[in-house]
Parts: sequence; structure tokens; C-alpha cells
Amino acid sequence: MSQSNSAGANIGLHRFAVFTTITTVVLIFVGGLVTSTESGLSVPDWPTTYGWNMFTFPYSKWVGGIFYEHSHRLLASFVGFLTIVLTVWTWMKESRKWVRWLAAAALATVIMQGILGGLTVKFLLPTPISTAHACLAQTFFCLIISIALFTSEDWKAGLPTVEEQTGGVRLTTLCAMTTGAIYLQLIVGALMRHMSAGLAIPDFPLAFGRIIPPFTSDKIVVHFAHRMGAVIVTAMIVWTFSRIRRAYSEHPTLYRPAVVMFVLVIAQLTLGAFTVWTAKSVIPTTAHVATGAMTLGASFFLTVRAFGSVVKRRPALIYPFREPAWK
Amino acid sequence: MRKQLVLVCALSLVLLLTACGGSNEPAIPTGGGGAGQPSGPAAPPPTATLAGKIAFEGTAPPPAKIQMSADPYCASHAQNPVTEDVKVSDGGLENVIIYVSSKVDASFPTPTEPVEIDQQNCHYIPHVFTMMVNQPLKVKNSDDTLHNIHSYSEVNTQYNAGQAVKGMVNDTKFDKAEMPVPFKCDVHKWMGAYAGVFTHPYHSVSKAGGAYEFKLAPGKYEITAWHEKYGTQKQEIEVKDGQNQLNFTFKAATSAD
Repeated sequence: MSQSNSAGANIGLHRFAVFTTITTVVLIFVGGLVTSTESGLSVPDWPTTYGWNMFTFPYSKWVGGIFYEHSHRLLASFVGFLTIVLTVWTWMKESRKWVRWLAAAALATVIMQGILGGLTVKFLLPTPISTAHACLAQTFFCLIISIALFTSEDWKAGLPTVEEQTGGVRLTTLCAMTTGAIYLQLIVGALMRHMSAGLAIPDFPLAFGRIIPPFTSDKIVVHFAHRMGAVIVTAMIVWTFSRIRRAYSEHPTLYRPAVVMFVLVIAQLTLGAFTVWTAKSVIPTTAHVATGAMTLGASFFLTVRAFGSVVKRRPALIYPFREPAWK
Repeated sequence: MRKQLVLVCALSLVLLLTACGGSNEPAIPTGGGGAGQPSGPAAPPPTATLAGKIAFEGTAPPPAKIQMSADPYCASHAQNPVTEDVKVSDGGLENVIIYVSSKVDASFPTPTEPVEIDQQNCHYIPHVFTMMVNQPLKVKNSDDTLHNIHSYSEVNTQYNAGQAVKGMVNDTKFDKAEMPVPFKCDVHKWMGAYAGVFTHPYHSVSKAGGAYEFKLAPGKYEITAWHEKYGTQKQEIEVKDGQNQLNFTFKAATSAD
């Protein structure tokens, strides 16, 4: 960790990265609102808005579905602008080359995300493009989180070393597997949402009054896959959280994000149930999308911190064999 | 620190590579309008008339009030806005599309007279209409607010046009038969309309009292009546020169909902 110390303090850059992260969460929520209110095509042109320049479109005309779609476009532009500033700032002030390239990757991702957003309007919300747009948002979110983490004082000063406390699957591997499982679950969730399959199984916790529903359509298959994914993700998070609570509770570096991740997944399960029970009411459905992203973010944060702090257990000292005294 | 870089890059790469979805192509509906361009011999003269009434039995659900507060213009201009999905007058059901659903082996000239759909006080007028393949469709905005008209067609390419200015007119057409083609305004969720697109001119929409009428050539036909809420009914008929009568009855209890 001595290398980090040479990176120097730049609290401003770190705070800016944190601000970009928070704004991205808001953007994901507003993007979720667009889909929840079925407003994705209420502005049929892109990058213009009913022929206006996006930034000069009169506020008096933000009516009905346009309000959600146009707000999403403006907020997305703002996050794009923040990312440009973040990247330039990083390249000017950050001494670690790999952090600079990470910022460049975030910028490339946000540009690609903007293009996907435009394509999804141009091609009238095709499921593959809309789903990719939703998934890339999560990728960008993780990249911004990592920049915020790597520019933090804690990271640059060097995270306290934590010795692996238990046998079996390594904690870093477990955290990475959990993050991967959450990401896959978000892909299935996005696919379900953009296939309009959110109510393909209309009851919960049962499915058509049964444990296993009749698979009579693609929508039911995808919806049920999302429910099964929820079970797997919850199990992974409970496993990760239990491990950290049992063996690393005195290490706030790991314990705090693990608690956040655990609380978020409980909230996420509740919101998922309410999404079905309220027949996809806008607020619980959109909150479900945003909480899913935050759960991924917490898990990703934990994973990176685990990789940055957990080290293998030192081999036990081997003493010369001695006969027991009673012999 | 390279370890962290490799870690983040690897994670990001995995996330990027998996950031792609997939789905099946939209299903082609089995609407009875037939598909593709008209073919066959020239159409015989339409010397017969098919007319009748779409009767409605039972108690029609009362129209629901539409909440238009999302757009102050709509809220102030629409007088007592209510839903139009079930419109009953004189015991007859309006907005039913009646059409020949059996194969019509004849070729018909494409009408050059456009069909018009207007957006007035945040409503589509008419709510239901029919047209022929490649017949011009004129989309007009008579409102001083923004609309987008979006056809949720599954056989034809979807159409989505924004109309920001009052008096704006757009022209479009559908090059394949499709029944029905739903239209929606994504700005104003309550705005909806339906079209039937056919390769022949043997179709109509029931008006006041459930009455309908269209001209056609004599022959044996399968006639379908379609309603957005009550679904479809079919009847066989041998149409002869002159007046022919064919009635349908939709019942409140047969609601598809």
C-alpha cells in the first residue's frame, strides 16, 4: 500500500466522484421512472426534443410522459458532463495511471450509454437495446463507485490488512461471486421489465397458485427466472454477510458495506413483492430498480475493499513433535 | 496497486460483456384481415350491400372519468372526458370493426383519398377506423399541446411521430394488412385508437345505434366483428345482389376482461 501514499491527497476529486455516484443513483431512479410510466417514446426524436435543442425545450411543454423522458435525458446529460469533468480532473491531478484509465473507461461507458439511449428511442424500444441500456447503466455505476473508492483517503493511505479468518471459499472470491450473481440478476430483471413481463406471474409468493408455474410463455419463463435469481442472490448475500459478521465484524472496512448490502437486499425483496402486489405501481416498481442498483453498488464496493484488504492466512507455526507428557 | 487495476478492469469487462439482452421477435398476430399485397383477378363490381346492427345485451359499464391533470391544456379543454372503450347507443355497440375475414381472391385499387385521424382536446377522433393497405393516413394535431402518435403495430413497421405544433399534419401508410393496429399517445396515456388495415374494401365501423354498412361483391363470406373490449365474433353469409342483413350481438357478460 505504500504506492498509494504517493498518490497524494485530492479530497476535492474524491468528493466530486462521490457526488457523481449519488447523481448516478438518482439518474437510475429517473430512468426507472421512464419505463414504469411507459414514457420512453413520448419524445419520439433524439437527440432533439420535438425539434427543439434538448437544452432549450420550454418547461411549459414538459407535459405527461414528456416530463419523465425529458428529465431523464437532461439528468443523463448532466451525469455525462460530470463524468467528463471527473475524467479531465483525474487525468490532470491523479498520479496513478491506472486510475486515470479507469476514469477514461467511465467516460467511454457513459458515451456508449448515451448512444444506446438514443438508439432505443430511434428503434422504438427494442428489447435487446433497452435491456443493454439498463445493464450498461449498472456497469457505469460500478465504475464510478470504484473511482470514488480509489480516490478516497482511506484507500490511498492503504486499507488495514485483514487476515483471512476462515477456511473454504476465500472471502474475496465469495464477494466477487455475490457481485456477479447480483449483476446477472439485474440483467434478467431488465430483460423482464423490457419484455413487459413484470406481471407475467400475477401472484406472489406463489406463482399461479403453485410453487412452479406452468411455462406457457417466454414472459413467464423470464419472470420466474428473476424470482429464482432473487432466491440465489439473497442466499449469496446472506452467506457473505454471515461470513463477515462472524469473522470480520471488528473490521469496519468490510463490515459496514456488508451491513448496507444486507439491509438493501431485504428492502429489495420487499419492494419486489410490492411491485407484484400493487400491479406494478410506479413508485415501488421504480424503487425496486434503484434499490437493485444500490445493492449491486454495495456488493461491488465490498468486493473491491475485500480485494484491497484481505490477505491469506499466514501458515501456522510448526512446532517440533513432542511426546505427550503422560507417556 | 496493479492488482486493484487488474481487478477493476476484469470486473468491468465481465459486466460490460454481459450487458446485453436478447428476446424473441414479436409474434405475428393471426388477425383475420389477411396479409400482404392484394392479388388475384380484378375485383367484381360491389353490387351488394351488407348492413346490420351490432346489438349490445346487458348493462354497459359506465364510462370512467379520465384524469388529465398531467397536461393543463388537456385538463382545461376536454369537457367531461370519459373513456370510449364501450360506447352503447340505442341498444347498439359503437366502434366495432366489421370486415370480411375470409380470403378475398381479387385485386382492388388502392384508394387515394386519405383516412384522417385527428387529435382534438386530447382525444383521437375517430376512436376506431378502417383503411386499406397503402391508403394514405393523415395524422392531424388540432391541439395546442404536444402529442406523439405511436402505432403499436406488430406486422407493419411501427410508426411514431411527434407533433409539437397545433395544426401539424403528418402522412403515413401501412403496407401490410393488420387487424387491429392499436395507436397510443405516449405523452397522454389515456389517448388510444384502433385501426383495421385490409387488402380489400369490405369493412366498416359501427356508428350510432350499432349500425354499420358496406358494399361488396356477391359471394360467400366469413364476416368478423371485432371490439376492443369484447373480442371477436364470426358468421358465415352468402351475400346476394342488393341489400343483405347481418346482425351481431355482444353481451356484457362476455367481456374478455
